[in-house]
Amino acid sequence: MREVDQAAVERACAGVALALPNSPHRGRVGEVRAASVGSSMEIHDFRSYQPGDDVRQMDWNAVARTGELVLRVRQDEVSPRVEVVLDGSKSMAVSEEKAARAKEVALLLCRLAARQGLDPTLLITAQAPVRAIGASCQAAILRAELDARDSLGDSLRRAPPLRPCGLRLVVSDFLFESPLEALADRLSRDASALGLVQLLDAEDLDPSGGVGARLLDAESGEALERVLTAVVLESYRQRFSEHQRLLCGAAFRVRAALVVASAEEGIERLSRTALAPLFEGQAKEARAR
Amino acid sequence: MSFGFPLGLLSLLSLAPILAAYFLRRRQKPRTVSAVFLWRTKSQRAQAGPRLQRFSREASILLEALAVVAAALFLSDLRFGRTVEQRHLVLVVDGSLSMAARPPTGKPVAERVRLEAARLVERERVGLLTVVESGVHPRVLAGPQVEATRALAALEKWRPQGPAHDLVPAAQLGKELAGGEAKVHLLTDGPLPAGAALPPEVELTALGQPADNLALVSAQRRDEGELAVVTVRVASYCGSSREVAVRFEGPSPRLETIRLEPGATAAIRLSFPGAGPISVALPDDALIEDGRARLLPSPVQKVRVRLLSGLSAAEAAAVRRFLEVAPGVLPAQPDSGADLTLGPEGSGATVQLGAKGALKSFVGPFFTQKHHPLLEDVGLSGVLWTAGDNPNGRPVVTAGDTVLISEEEGALRLNLELSRSNVQRTAAWPVLLGNAVRRARLSSPGFQKRQLTLGEEVPVVTEPGGSYTLEGPSGARAVLGAGAVTLPPLSPPGTYRLLRDGEEVDALEVLAIDPRESDLRDRGAARLPAKAAAGIGLAALADRRAVWPLVLLLVLLLADFSLTARER
Repeated sequence: MREVDQAAVERACAGVALALPNSPHRGRVGEVRAASVGSSMEIHDFRSYQPGDDVRQMDWNAVARTGELVLRVRQDEVSPRVEVVLDGSKSMAVSEEKAARAKEVALLLCRLAARQGLDPTLLITAQAPVRAIGASCQAAILRAELDARDSLGDSLRRAPPLRPCGLRLVVSDFLFESPLEALADRLSRDASALGLVQLLDAEDLDPSGGVGARLLDAESGEALERVLTAVVLESYRQRFSEHQRLLCGAAFRVRAALVVASAEEGIERLSRTALAPLFEGQAKEARAR
Repeated sequence: MSFGFPLGLLSLLSLAPILAAYFLRRRQKPRTVSAVFLWRTKSQRAQAGPRLQRFSREASILLEALAVVAAALFLSDLRFGRTVEQRHLVLVVDGSLSMAARPPTGKPVAERVRLEAARLVERERVGLLTVVESGVHPRVLAGPQVEATRALAALEKWRPQGPAHDLVPAAQLGKELAGGEAKVHLLTDGPLPAGAALPPEVELTALGQPADNLALVSAQRRDEGELAVVTVRVASYCGSSREVAVRFEGPSPRLETIRLEPGATAAIRLSFPGAGPISVALPDDALIEDGRARLLPSPVQKVRVRLLSGLSAAEAAAVRRFLEVAPGVLPAQPDSGADLTLGPEGSGATVQLGAKGALKSFVGPFFTQKHHPLLEDVGLSGVLWTAGDNPNGRPVVTAGDTVLISEEEGALRLNLELSRSNVQRTAAWPVLLGNAVRRARLSSPGFQKRQLTLGEEVPVVTEPGGSYTLEGPSGARAVLGAGAVTLPPLSPPGTYRLLRDGEEVDALEVLAIDPRESDLRDRGAARLPAKAAAGIGLAALADRRAVWPLVLLLVLLLADFSLTARER
């Protein structure tokens, strides 16, 4: 079993930061304006004083002008909560590289969130789902068994519920037949922003040909006899393109950022290339595009 | 349920490789992929999803196994208890040479037989037919119980060339093949000879026609030195006097014209220089076959004779006197073998001469073994014969208790004291020794006669240790037995060669000569109904091969092809 390269993850963290949503839902006191009222310097509204209000927020100028007790309502400043969801199905472990890279990507995202003082939460949808918060995320990722025999959509039903958060990042191969739009809806619910990391094995992207083979589905165990001729491979590529188009459409509908990463590439290179749209700088460009 | 050809069930063995291939495919190297659904074709996704694929291979092997079973059922000729009874008719056709006659008007007799057979098949709605050809030894031409079309096809190839014979054995065979009580049709070309008793179930139909015919009734050839002497006898079976031109084809072709009165015969003897076959031909008439003869060279075989030492002067003189005048006799060379040896008693010669012990004289006639070839035409009446003690061997001629001539293992012992006998001065002496020479001549390997007529048995001599084969117009067959062997009559007429270990030893010609078949004047058309009220037989066999397994096989193969093609 190939081990997770933590040093490479550490190196990949250097110089990058997660792109946070403009209007996060909730979070600890931080730098990002929250949807709720709070005590930041930004004035959100004015209203009449109610007993119990903080008199320090009284707008005395207004009281002088109007003779009424007018209170400044300030917007709260929060640090948004980040939730990382790692698809724990068997297809994520179809090759050792793919399994290791998935964990490395999840670890990278958790570390970046922690570095930015966000509140990372990890959910691994394995056969025995795992939820970890904060510093325990790393250990959970390293211990994770990618052994679920169902798709991400199905495994989310038996996993602990997704929590409202500012940024939700999902690491999966998204190679399943269940409706992608419904899954995207579900993943974007109670999240200000959604990032989808589609991690694919080299054989997923460009399967090799050869003689006849018994194709076994990693999750369901379904078998299929095929002679891997050029025609069959071309048919696969067409079908894969169609699937990717559906995934892109589903991501676009919920305004999610979708990145496609190849497990063949190392995590450092991925953080500079395929995963860049999730980070500050490139995210703005991506949004602009 | 039964099988017409149970060996066809062996085709079930082909299930083994099919199943082996199936299980080998099951053990194909698995390859885990992230999403099998991307590999499915659209039709599979639309119709049944992933289950169809799992099922298709099992369905394919099931279809293939069923196809093999269907093929096995077809090949093994599956029959259920129900069989179709078909009408079965037995035809007996006369196989004698006269059936090959071509009357001046109308169709040839053999062709009439074929038409009559076809007409009977159609009239009686016959499904199965058995055709028996009569002959010295009746034989089944088609059948027993073959499809009528196949039997009629076999009849098309039929060429009657046999000698005159009794039709009753063939009729009896036909009756047995018909089941004993069903009607048998006998097709011939004329009335039966008086006294012939056909089985009552046999209906006779004569399809012949009277015709004039000229025929060779005998043909012989004898080669004496460089001269071939040919003797033929021509018979006229015509209603009027005829002038006949007999053509001889050989080293020097000749044409001899003779006049023949009705029923008369005439012999022609001609000499031809040189060797080689000589053909004799009469003008074409109703029966062409009996007007043709091909005569192979048949030289008289010389017998090599050797006199052994030990004979008395009187004995040697008596023997030499005979040898000097005997035809076809040569003194054996010292360094070569001899066909006949003469010597004193106890010398091991073929003919041993002399008497030992107390001598007694006898005056003929004596007791002789009847029909012994050595005593043929030997007259011993009044002959004075002085003999000694009885020699060993089987007695051939005796006088009281004294054995005068005995025979032991091919050696002839003459218990004779010539100085006190007068046998050597009688006609019996050269005849007796001539018979011994003839026996020696006949014991040499090969045919004893080189021209045989139809129905004549074939005497042949073979040597032990050799593999002999007789090759003729109808193929080759082994000659079994060593020494003097008599083979059954050969048919059809033509040239037969005797081969020893593949090399030709001798040849003979069977001539299409049989005077009884050449006389076509009494042939005619007639119908003699069966005396017993017999019907057409029924045969419970020959239900046609069931076709439904073949149809099932094709359907299964198409279904399998459709299923497997869809996977691709």
